[in-house]
Amino acid sequence: MTVILQNVAMWLAMSLLTGATVLYGYFFLSKKPAHSFMASLLTGAAFILLTASIGLYSSASEGSRLFGPYSLVLAAWALVLVYFVVEHLVKLKVYGVVLLPLALVLLAVAQVLLPAAAGAQPGAVEMVQLNSWRVTMHVILIVFANAGFAIGAAASATYLVLEEQLKKHRTSTLFKRLPSLAQTDLIARRAIGWAFPAYSAGLLLGVLRAVETDVSGWWSDPRVMLSGVVWVVYAAYLYLRFGRGASGRTTAWVALGGVVFVIALAVVARTLPEGFHVFGIARP
Amino acid sequence: MHLILVGLSHKTAPIEIRETLTFPADRQAAALAAFTCSDKVSEAVVLSTCNRTEIYAVTTSGADSIDSVIDCMCSFHHLDRAGLDPYLYASEGEAVVRHLFRVVASLDSMVVGEAQILGQAKEAYDHSFGNGASGRVFNKLFRQSFEVGKRVRSETAIGESAVSISYAAVELARKVFDTLDGRTILVLGAGKMSELTAKHLVSQGVRSVLVANRTYERAVDLARRFEGEPIRYEDLFTRMRDADIVISSTAAPGYVVTRGDVAEVMKKRSGRPLFFIDIALPRDIDPAVNDLNNVFLYDIDDLSGVVESNLEERMREAAQAEIIIEDEIAAFERWLESMEVVPTIAAIRAKSERMRAEEMEKALKRLDGLSEKEIATVEALTQAIVNKMLHGPTARLKAAAAEKDGYEYVDSARHLWGLDSQDAKPRHAHGLRGLLGLTDKARKDETGESLGC
Repeated sequence: MTVILQNVAMWLAMSLLTGATVLYGYFFLSKKPAHSFMASLLTGAAFILLTASIGLYSSASEGSRLFGPYSLVLAAWALVLVYFVVEHLVKLKVYGVVLLPLALVLLAVAQVLLPAAAGAQPGAVEMVQLNSWRVTMHVILIVFANAGFAIGAAASATYLVLEEQLKKHRTSTLFKRLPSLAQTDLIARRAIGWAFPAYSAGLLLGVLRAVETDVSGWWSDPRVMLSGVVWVVYAAYLYLRFGRGASGRTTAWVALGGVVFVIALAVVARTLPEGFHVFGIARP
Repeated sequence: MHLILVGLSHKTAPIEIRETLTFPADRQAAALAAFTCSDKVSEAVVLSTCNRTEIYAVTTSGADSIDSVIDCMCSFHHLDRAGLDPYLYASEGEAVVRHLFRVVASLDSMVVGEAQILGQAKEAYDHSFGNGASGRVFNKLFRQSFEVGKRVRSETAIGESAVSISYAAVELARKVFDTLDGRTILVLGAGKMSELTAKHLVSQGVRSVLVANRTYERAVDLARRFEGEPIRYEDLFTRMRDADIVISSTAAPGYVVTRGDVAEVMKKRSGRPLFFIDIALPRDIDPAVNDLNNVFLYDIDDLSGVVESNLEERMREAAQAEIIIEDEIAAFERWLESMEVVPTIAAIRAKSERMRAEEMEKALKRLDGLSEKEIATVEALTQAIVNKMLHGPTARLKAAAAEKDGYEYVDSARHLWGLDSQDAKPRHAHGLRGLLGLTDKARKDETGESLGC
């Protein structure tokens, strides 16, 4: 029964997110407040259903699953939550057009991968490694940091599109609907500014756990190395933005580069069976 | 009753004619009194702006009333009618409603989408209302026209984009900086155009104005007008580091700001963008400046391109506005139809009461010897029966009359209750529908009945 309810809540949430995406799209083109209000309403309802679905799943599996494809559901949940907060803080709904489809893709991929991973459990050694509050915090922090990086990337992409339009003196509908350069730059800066410390803390907790469980050569795991690259890219972003006063264009490209590594890491984490950090892979 | 309009506008009359036929605020009362003093005009509104003068009136007859309104206008301004006639337009019925809605929605304005006309129409109506020249029809029509104006502005993007060079510059600056609050502008050259653009920017919240000119005294003079700071020409590039927006309009024959100059300035700006508006001819700023990172340059042609594109967008939005107007015309028509139901219901109630009273009288003659209390009870009983029987049908008739083609219900009710003589329709109903020139024949033509559809 719980599983059925969890699935119903999940599919309803996905349907509402689809509706919200369409409405955000309409709002982007028409600028009618009614569309944005309905889109926010649907996003809120979808978030509640998604939370309920995660809760039901946790109760059915006796605890949240922080490994395997289900981590994608958590990532989508965090993305919707962070987007919702950003939307209400800066009163900008443009990013819903990009970020909600991203959350939907994460959920859809999770739905495709989950049946194959049904009943999958990490091995005995891995269970020992996972059994710690540090791992829980590590996953939560990384998931939220990735949501922040995604928002930073969406804002950076918007910045580059608008800058291009301004440079070429175009006044298309797209140009008129996009927020200002200053605003997009600010959102990217803040999103990454908040996400980076969370990511750093998440990585630190992961390293501490690896050291305390005496995993040899943990640093040579491709996931660990890639996450190090992600950290370096975003550290460079912050240094360029706040230390060197680099232009919005330069930092926007760096932010987009960073999110490419985040995506690469997400793919590698779920496909490469090498290394100790194999929790993302479904293994029946 | 007829709804008529007589007027002239920038589309039909040159300014020399328009300026002879204005009704300023202090003469509105006299003008309204002059228009409504005749028996032919029961309501009037005078809309007088720099681009149009229009008299809206509810009259007892059509063509005759138009003539009498024109005569009244001519006599009020001591003008020769023959000289004015070629510039005037007149319309009746539904065309008046459509015209008013288009005017208030700014579709008939010189600059489509401008916001001023809505306020001017409100002012004209206020004069009419205040002077007792507006009645039931204009109270509804004008108030609805203001709703049309608001709907068009909120549901379309007709008034969103800038359609003047200086506002286009402000709009673009906002696209870069989001808000102009606290920004600094540098005015290079003390020309009229740069002054006008700077004025717009200052009105949008720009904090400080720096003025540079080859002749320092002129820079001091212009800076004083903006409570700004004059700067020596040789300090131009040093102070450019502090500016967010540079407006240039010098009379120099060549570029006064080169790519190299700006590249040097940008090194010391900590990544802050710099927006150049070059409104000089020949241009002051090397176009290659636009290739620099975080630098945006718009010259006069680029700004004109923005204005043209915005005007085209307004025209596209105007098509959406026309749909809203058609919708509102239909709503006004429904209101007129619903108004026809009121006298019909009153007539039904009066007839029923008459019948009840007659029957009551007959019954009392037969029931001799009833006490006062018993008579009062029977009276109350018959009244209650009549009221209860009428309540449902009249409530439904009221509701149906507000629907599309609701007049058919009203006609049916009048026929069933035998309220009219065999051929004649109710006078009042004809009067209200006549406002829009909608006779029964016209309605049948609309629905295709006369074509056998």
